[in-house]
Amino acid sequence: MTRRARIVIGLVAAAAIATGCASGNAGGPAPSAPAGGAVITASGLAFDRRELDVPAGRAFPLLFENRELSPHNVAIYPVGSDVALFVGETFSGTSARTYQVSSLAAGTYRFRCDVHPDMSGTLIAQS
Amino acid sequence: MATLTRSVHPHSRLVTDLVRALIVTLALATAAIHLVLGGLLFTLNAVGYAGLAILMVLPGPIGRVRVLVRLATIAFTATTIAGWLLFGVRFSLAYLDKTIELALIAAVSLELWRVDGGPLVIARRARRVVGDVLGGAR
Repeated sequence: MTRRARIVIGLVAAAAIATGCASGNAGGPAPSAPAGGAVITASGLAFDRRELDVPAGRAFPLLFENRELSPHNVAIYPVGSDVALFVGETFSGTSARTYQVSSLAAGTYRFRCDVHPDMSGTLIAQS
Repeated sequence: MATLTRSVHPHSRLVTDLVRALIVTLALATAAIHLVLGGLLFTLNAVGYAGLAILMVLPGPIGRVRVLVRLATIAFTATTIAGWLLFGVRFSLAYLDKTIELALIAAVSLELWRVDGGPLVIARRARRVVGDVLGGAR
């Protein structure tokens, strides 16, 4: 094997190791929900909850904490539709954003990470 | 048997090596970004880029048909960009990655042109190789 080939293989291995270290769960307690809003965190390519309760009929803050290097966001969709009602900023962790979500009518919605659509859950807006 | 790679003039060897190093660096950079993105599809994409980077420098018989690796890299990268345009999420890391992928296509195209001689020459050479293979099978 040539020196050049060994360097390439070494770089690939280093990238794989670095990614494995970066994608682990940062751990720690979930942050508190902002007043009148909700909170959700992402780690290990999953949200920490499958159901999210939010107030209906008024705008509300949604605190999203991304605890891993993989970029995530939170987007809200009507059930059975791919037209988003709200799309939060996508960002890498460890970091947090407080989204300001516009008023939702009472009902059931779907939330997901747009980068990883398998990360999803049910959002319930109620008065 | 005809091969798909023509000999390189010694004067252009340094440039060829630099372009090859750039290609490998760009391929590994986008592989690393796709690894960071996580999930099965992105990870497979990362493995694809890493594999192509290795094939770009792997010694031995692969060197005779390196043009196929170059063509595969361009096709793979173009498909990845098209997939992102159709289904991808727009955010800063994605834009960085697409910039790297466009640069990768440019660098591989440059190498394709310098080493293999451009699309018409490649097509003629590929046809000759296919003819050799088919002739040998008879």
